[in-house]
Amino acid sequence: MWSIAGRTSLRSASDPTLKWSNCVEKKSCYVCGKEALSKSEIGLTKKLLDKDSKRFYCFDCLAEYLEVDAEILLAKVEEFKKQGCKFF
Amino acid sequence: MIYADNAATTKISDRAFEQMLPFLREQYGNASGQYSLGIKAKHAIEQARKQVGAAIGAEPSEIIFTSGGSEANSWVLRNVAEFYRDEPLHIITSSIEHHSVLNSCRALEQIGVEITYLPVDSTGRVSIDVVKAAIKSNTKLVSIMLANNEIGTIQPITEIGQFLHEQGILFHTDAVQAVGHIPVDVRELRVDFLTASAHKFNGAKGTGFLYKRSGRELSPLVFGGKQELGRRAGTENVAGIVAAGYAIEESISEMDEIANRLREMVNATINGVKKRVPSVRVNGNMAHRLPGIVNLGFNGISGGSLMHLLDLKGVYVSTSSACASGNDEPSHVLLALGLNEQQARSAIRISYGKYNTPDEVKAIVAAVCDAYSKIKANQ
Repeated sequence: MWSIAGRTSLRSASDPTLKWSNCVEKKSCYVCGKEALSKSEIGLTKKLLDKDSKRFYCFDCLAEYLEVDAEILLAKVEEFKKQGCKFF
Repeated sequence: MIYADNAATTKISDRAFEQMLPFLREQYGNASGQYSLGIKAKHAIEQARKQVGAAIGAEPSEIIFTSGGSEANSWVLRNVAEFYRDEPLHIITSSIEHHSVLNSCRALEQIGVEITYLPVDSTGRVSIDVVKAAIKSNTKLVSIMLANNEIGTIQPITEIGQFLHEQGILFHTDAVQAVGHIPVDVRELRVDFLTASAHKFNGAKGTGFLYKRSGRELSPLVFGGKQELGRRAGTENVAGIVAAGYAIEESISEMDEIANRLREMVNATINGVKKRVPSVRVNGNMAHRLPGIVNLGFNGISGGSLMHLLDLKGVYVSTSSACASGNDEPSHVLLALGLNEQQARSAIRISYGKYNTPDEVKAIVAAVCDAYSKIKANQ
């Protein structure tokens, strides 16, 4: 019997339209409404607030919400990427 | 920056740093050298061995310097397995040990050693009765940590040591979190082996030690020269060893005063957070605990997220779960207390050290509560 994960990977291998990036639901910023948030913006919301978050933020609005500079958030994204975090 | 992760590592003390520096520059001789530069290095190592021995009630000849706690923990477990390799062997440990003990045990299981992982109560304490019940005719070693690194719970080592001594069973304790922070006397504890790490008591990273009771067997870890009582060959880390000696001496001399301060900081943290987050849970034992460690659980949020938000504000604490990849593994320690996976993922550990101040505690409490509110408000 195949596992769900097994079936997914087999389909992905044969169907290029089922790449992971294409499966990511389009998100918009909860505050300013900016559409099509980047994977880093979505990942940062998940990493810093809640991996099951229903609300997402663009970099600027997340920085304002958390009361930090946006540059700090961008630096954190790079750190998380280097750590191999799956959210990024 | 506010650093409150002293259970992970500490800032080297000024005295230890100043004492180690000459051995990196002017006094850089190899301690095996037969000329004065080498003899001075050798003398410095032996001085540190005396300082460490005196700090834990051991003879200098019972102290072997290592690279740290993990090396020493692994060494003891493998040593016993090697010594009894021709007979069935049973080792007992607890389910909340450091991974250097747990993973050594897992490796020994692969070669046929039977391991019993003792449960703990909801505060992280191992019961002497549970230890007694686990003993088998072929039990040769029990390894129980003196104090836990995540929750700070202190184990009844003296009681266990007395029992095991009467049974003629070897006893090892991982005292990495305890040495330099609470009184540790190897004679009183009745342990045969004890491990410690200098960077946990304001020494330098890369140096630790293993106490081996006189007369106990210990195979060499590294073959070669006669360094470290002929059991760990290789040129010694003279500077690190010197720092360890002065750091432990300093820690012992300041222990009571600092422990009192740390207890006040921990209490202020618990009370301060509880005022704003009444649902916060304190994990661990309130009576038998290290003075500077507090593990707090926040229902419904990720301890990892909390830790990252504090990081953004320049406040450094740790989370109990391992979450570098986004797949946060719940802490084996917190699961062993009976917490569910969500609860185990919701914890942070704040560990104060001698350089923390009451003002920093206030700032940490405010930062933790603010971060918690931000996360909850987003749900």
